[in-house]
Amino acid sequence: MSNIAGTKSSLNWAVQISVVLLVVLWIFPTVGLFVSSFRTADQISSTGWWKALFPTEQSETLRAADPDDFAVQLDDGTWAVTGNLYEEGAQASISSWGTSSRDISAYVPGDIADLGDGETITMNETGDYVWTSVEQPSGRGQRVFVTATNPPEFTLENYDTVLGEGVIQSILIYAAAAAVVAVVVGFATKSVGLSNFKMAAYLSGIVVFLVLSLVYGLGTGQGGGQASDNMAKAFFNTLTVTIPATIIPITVAAFAAYALAWMDFPGRALLIAAIVGLLVVPLQLALIPLLRLHLQIGIGKGYLGVWLAHTGFGMPLAIYLLRNYMAGLPRDIIENARVDGATEYQIFTRIILPLSFPALASFAIFQFLWTWNDLLVALVFLIDSSGQTTVMTRQIVELLGTRGGNWEILATAAFVSISVPLIVFFAMQKYLVRGLLAGSVK
Amino acid sequence: MKMKYYAGAAALALIAGSANAAGHLIFADGEGDFNWDSLAAFAEAHDYSGQSVTISGPWMSPEADYFNNMIAYFEEATGADVSYVGSDSFEQQIVIDVEAGSAPNVAVFPQPGLAAVLASQGALTPLGDDARQWVMDNYAAGQSWIDLGTYDNAGNGDDFFGFFFNVNVKSLVWYVPENFEDAGYEVPTSMEELKALTDQIVADGGTPWCIGLGSGAATGWPATDWVEDLMLRTQPADVYDAWTTNDLAFNSPEVIGAMEEFGWFAKNDAYVAGGAGAVASTDFRDSPKGMFDTPPACYMHRQASFIPAFFPEGTEVGEDADFFYFPSYADKDLGNPVLGGGTLLAVTDDSDATQGFMEFLQTPFAQEVMMAQGGFLTPHLGVNNDNYASDALASQGAILQGATTFRFDGSDLMPGAVGAGSFWTGMVDFVGGASAEDVATSIQESWDAIK
Repeated sequence: MSNIAGTKSSLNWAVQISVVLLVVLWIFPTVGLFVSSFRTADQISSTGWWKALFPTEQSETLRAADPDDFAVQLDDGTWAVTGNLYEEGAQASISSWGTSSRDISAYVPGDIADLGDGETITMNETGDYVWTSVEQPSGRGQRVFVTATNPPEFTLENYDTVLGEGVIQSILIYAAAAAVVAVVVGFATKSVGLSNFKMAAYLSGIVVFLVLSLVYGLGTGQGGGQASDNMAKAFFNTLTVTIPATIIPITVAAFAAYALAWMDFPGRALLIAAIVGLLVVPLQLALIPLLRLHLQIGIGKGYLGVWLAHTGFGMPLAIYLLRNYMAGLPRDIIENARVDGATEYQIFTRIILPLSFPALASFAIFQFLWTWNDLLVALVFLIDSSGQTTVMTRQIVELLGTRGGNWEILATAAFVSISVPLIVFFAMQKYLVRGLLAGSVK
Repeated sequence: MKMKYYAGAAALALIAGSANAAGHLIFADGEGDFNWDSLAAFAEAHDYSGQSVTISGPWMSPEADYFNNMIAYFEEATGADVSYVGSDSFEQQIVIDVEAGSAPNVAVFPQPGLAAVLASQGALTPLGDDARQWVMDNYAAGQSWIDLGTYDNAGNGDDFFGFFFNVNVKSLVWYVPENFEDAGYEVPTSMEELKALTDQIVADGGTPWCIGLGSGAATGWPATDWVEDLMLRTQPADVYDAWTTNDLAFNSPEVIGAMEEFGWFAKNDAYVAGGAGAVASTDFRDSPKGMFDTPPACYMHRQASFIPAFFPEGTEVGEDADFFYFPSYADKDLGNPVLGGGTLLAVTDDSDATQGFMEFLQTPFAQEVMMAQGGFLTPHLGVNNDNYASDALASQGAILQGATTFRFDGSDLMPGAVGAGSFWTGMVDFVGGASAEDVATSIQESWDAIK
């Protein structure tokens, strides 16, 4: 982008560096959360996520195989247990090891440790061990402490817990296939000269994803059925809450904003002031009285109640934002329309609404994000003790467990729940930027 | 279009999952050592077809699943429809629901304080004399459980409201037996021995204790358990009772003495992993993991019976980790006191089926099904202890059943502003370096302020 004079400012590089720094600073915690979502609880509590990306030297406590099952009697009458300390596929390189918690690096690979009572154990760098005993060994496998360099290790287990077994893999594979098809279709339709080739590409991608999901299903369907069932139900419930709770306030607020911006009636300024005043009222104040009202008039706890509550709580901001935007539209257009004999309703639907689209869209994004992430209003107005209604935020809190120590689930759930708002945001971001300025610049 | 895309994806997941959702009972009829007769007798006597019972409480996964598995037997036996919903903000939500009139039939309270408040507002239904007598006859130290469940009702005297179900023992010290073996340490049987062992470990170059007080907004509570346990070990139980009601001032020498006992462990850099400065900032959920570090960061961890949930994955209690009773002083003749906590159920919206459900919880079968799934202890004397999911739980259960002096977590009995406020923050100040006298005096002032 060039400035007005057409020459680049000499401080341009400083601006760009500071922008990059700000962006890095801003996304730093998110990256940490993202990396953590692929780590196990034990990994998270033992090392920081920034160490997860590189091979690290770590000390671990491992155990030889159970002698009751794996001990073999050799020709000379002694017993031996052989095997590898690590699970299959792990590529650790052991630098030192020990058999007592008092001295965990007493030996290097190749040394033979005397365990007493005629037992010895030895191991090489990759964790292959030989544990010998004069008598038949019994009890638990020998505990050994190893200090080894481990390659970075990541897991999809957390996503399996949150979404259900194998769901994340399926979604990623289908999405990749859909993207490839979309790109191909996009190029093909563009080359034959179809004007809305973008739409064709999107449509084909969505169709491919749906067909793949329908034919092959989501997930392997083993073990994770329960979790994915609950999460899918919560997902639907959240959409059932969110979509009407976004559309209703916008519809109502658009009418109100037009009236407050362009229709003259006594007390208009006072009404606007009252609405601006309502912006600062915390919604927590209204929870109990509103719920009591809902119960008295027979709405009870349910979707209707939560829609009304979200509508009410979102309305002051919606009216304020839309009124300021509409008040900034050129007076001439509206007066011309009036002169030409248009009714107020016609002016509103034919002129104001199309012109206000950026403001409407930006408020829709705000309201969608807020209702999507909401837990408080849903807990009070929707979730009753029947257990039939739940939302994703509630489901995530549930996954955290009674004492809430499951950080790995928290990180993963954050990314699962953020995915829909992210898509909404990227699909509508050009309106968001435009709409953010609504009312601020006239 | 986008919505349809997601709806489709989610619909598939829903269809895929629903196949597994069909209700089934966790233990087949006649299986195991359960008291099936008590279930059959209960089923014979009660029929609530078409009725429903709603329950809300603080239990979430995995305790909620255990509870739901037990509920399934009640549904099977009576035909009632029971649903349980857990919430991490249960204590706020039940207040909102009671205020607004949308309370569930049964509420599970994590501690008596809130139940007492709701009882005094008339929101709870008394359980009646039969239930009181049942607890008296069937629970070890029955009178203490009755006292803990009896509150002032909305005007005329006291009633029995709260039925304790799922109790935990707090007087436990966890350790790794193999680490003790490596170093040649023995499990101490008296407080004197425990202190000697602490010094011994330091002399050998190790760190004896892992103590973590961090718990988000509740930071400090693990220290209140320490002080309560030490209070019971340095003073008779009636002094403890006087302390919880503030008949004994918080800044009296008895309480300050117990706090300084705790300070002996927690305020010495050599005794605590990470040094005394790390005590307040270490999360209580991460703290026990120090015992399993390579090399071990500490040898012992004092915490309630629930803590194995936060041991590293794959840790087997009884093999990889074990516990011993937090010992009492050999030279003080105070017996072996047990500190514990527990959840209680109270009726917030009465109905026939609700009363039936409360009766069902009194059957040995209901308690045994919970015991067999883990994370559950009961003082019920009529259950078969073989049903405990592990030997470790069975011996904790035996501690409960054999308790001569059982005392409830004192901070839960104090008013919320103290027991869930100034006592917590005071203990954080205390481990941070403030003197016991100053901390105790400021806690007493906060108590005076709400009188």
